[in-house]
Amino acid sequence: MHRSFEIIGKVMTVAAGIGYALLALGPSLSLFVSVISRKPFLILTLLSSTLVWLVSLIVLSGLWRPFLPLKANVWWPYTLLVLSSVCFQEALRFLFWKLYMRLEDVLDSFADRISRPRLFLTDKLQIALAGGLGHGVAHAVFFCLSLLTPAFAIIALAFVTIHTFSMVIAFEGYAKGNKVDQVIVPVIHLSAGMLTLVNFASEGCVIGVPLLYLVASLTLLHCGKMVWQRLIESRNQSGPTLR
Amino acid sequence: MDRTQRPRSVLDSLGEELIGILTPVSICMFTVVLLVCLLNSDPFSSASFSSIATAAYSETDSDSPWDKLLGAFLNSLVFVAAITVATFLLVLLFYLRCVRFLKLYMGFSAFVVLANLGGEISVLLIDRFRLPVDSVTFSILLFNFSVVGVFAVFMSRFSILITQGYLVVIGVLVAYFFTMLPEWTTWVLLVALALYDLAAVLLPVGPLRLLVEMAISRDEDIPALVYEARPVIRDDSRLVQRRVWRDRRSSQNDDDLENNEVVNVVRAEEDEQRSEISVPLIERSRPESSETFLEGIGLGSSGAIKLGLGDFIFYSVLVGRAAMYDLMTVYACYLAIIAGLGVTLMLLSVYQKALPALPVSIMLGVVFYFLARLFLEVFVVQCSSNLVMF
Repeated sequence: MHRSFEIIGKVMTVAAGIGYALLALGPSLSLFVSVISRKPFLILTLLSSTLVWLVSLIVLSGLWRPFLPLKANVWWPYTLLVLSSVCFQEALRFLFWKLYMRLEDVLDSFADRISRPRLFLTDKLQIALAGGLGHGVAHAVFFCLSLLTPAFAIIALAFVTIHTFSMVIAFEGYAKGNKVDQVIVPVIHLSAGMLTLVNFASEGCVIGVPLLYLVASLTLLHCGKMVWQRLIESRNQSGPTLR
Repeated sequence: MDRTQRPRSVLDSLGEELIGILTPVSICMFTVVLLVCLLNSDPFSSASFSSIATAAYSETDSDSPWDKLLGAFLNSLVFVAAITVATFLLVLLFYLRCVRFLKLYMGFSAFVVLANLGGEISVLLIDRFRLPVDSVTFSILLFNFSVVGVFAVFMSRFSILITQGYLVVIGVLVAYFFTMLPEWTTWVLLVALALYDLAAVLLPVGPLRLLVEMAISRDEDIPALVYEARPVIRDDSRLVQRRVWRDRRSSQNDDDLENNEVVNVVRAEEDEQRSEISVPLIERSRPESSETFLEGIGLGSSGAIKLGLGDFIFYSVLVGRAAMYDLMTVYACYLAIIAGLGVTLMLLSVYQKALPALPVSIMLGVVFYFLARLFLEVFVVQCSSNLVMF
């Protein structure tokens, strides 16, 4: 019944399957339960973000379908694949941000209409986080769900982290016009994609995976620093007025 | 040093009603997928499921694709015709004000679904997991379960959580049995039902539209199985959830409220006796009323969002059938259906009239299923087998 299990050619126990899935998606699940499930709007953002990125993956696979299956053990078509996919997705991320700005305007005017405060900084950051989590989950499920293997689960975990937090960086970068943030996100995405190509070499994953995790932790650090700075800034701005 | 209580942001409670209806739909779909995965692992043991939906043609593996397609068309035609007849019968009975008879029939059909279909699935599960249960205990438990279910569905003072739970269970049971139809028949049937729903609600002569107009003009409820999400009323400081949508209806202006209702008919079947039970189902959604009280962009509605059980059932059938292929298609179809449901609810708040809930979701779901099956799988296998990811 499950074609994926035929491909692996081994019997996978349910416990192992759940274990691998949790390996890839465990942190996202805890993020979901602690932050996203508290606010219904964030759940809706997560679902729409996952849908958008799934559609992007479908479009990519449709575009590449005539060229597949690629010859085995030849790595340069995969470079093209990763390059084109990353470019497409970064362009889509910009469009996604534009859509989000429109939504922010709608929400702000709605808040004015019912005389509630406008969106706080933390709200905007949370929406960006939900969007990024949707991106990460879409990729993890797409690449990892059919073939639940430990190797893939580990790689997927790194990618989930990268996608979740680079969305936050990207939104802030586009909103503030900060060139560094705007450029760093595609660079991170591209380098992460290219790093997985290292896995082609025999024993390549011994180098590739730790480097990937290095990129993921860099993303986390950069995002954390940026958010911390923004929060301090906004507190200094609004501190004296709120008592 | 900190502010004591930050004013509540707009984001805290927006979209609550939508989540209130998405959660049970997701639970229903997830349960059906789980049942399909658990009970269908042995492809040779599936008995042939004969019902009115396979009356015209029963699919065998050796037929050519064209034969299968033709047979599926015939099956769907028969099924949709039967449903149309049943709905017109329902309209007639409602017109003649035999409401009591309808309510009794609904109770009877709920009991049959819970006892019969529930019993069959329980037996299959007991067999699969080798649970030690004797038949006397089993029949007592099943009987009690079904009777409580009938009461939950029909007594308005019952605890809302149990009512909602039983409605989801009924949806799961019927949906699981529909997934046992042959493959081509299922897909053509889903598309045919989506088209039927579109016609029956939007055409002036459609039975569902007549039913809805009669119910509005008499200001009555259609006796039907409807899932009602909890209505939410807000104080300034906290959320109070009460089931008061009936009271609210009488206390507010008629100008502000409009009932938008969609009725969807579903048929539950038993194998042995070949008898048919038709269960009418409604979707009703109230757009925003007074602005001082509530928030409305189309997400916040006063009172409850109600979704008919037929919609639950057919969404779950689609996802269950996708589960029989691969989990990737389940993921794609689930997102497509949720998106379709969101689009339908948004259209509802824009057009302010009765809209069918099936077509958008089913069409999106079918499209995504075939896209996933044709495109995604090859791509994923290519990347996964070489540990390439982006």
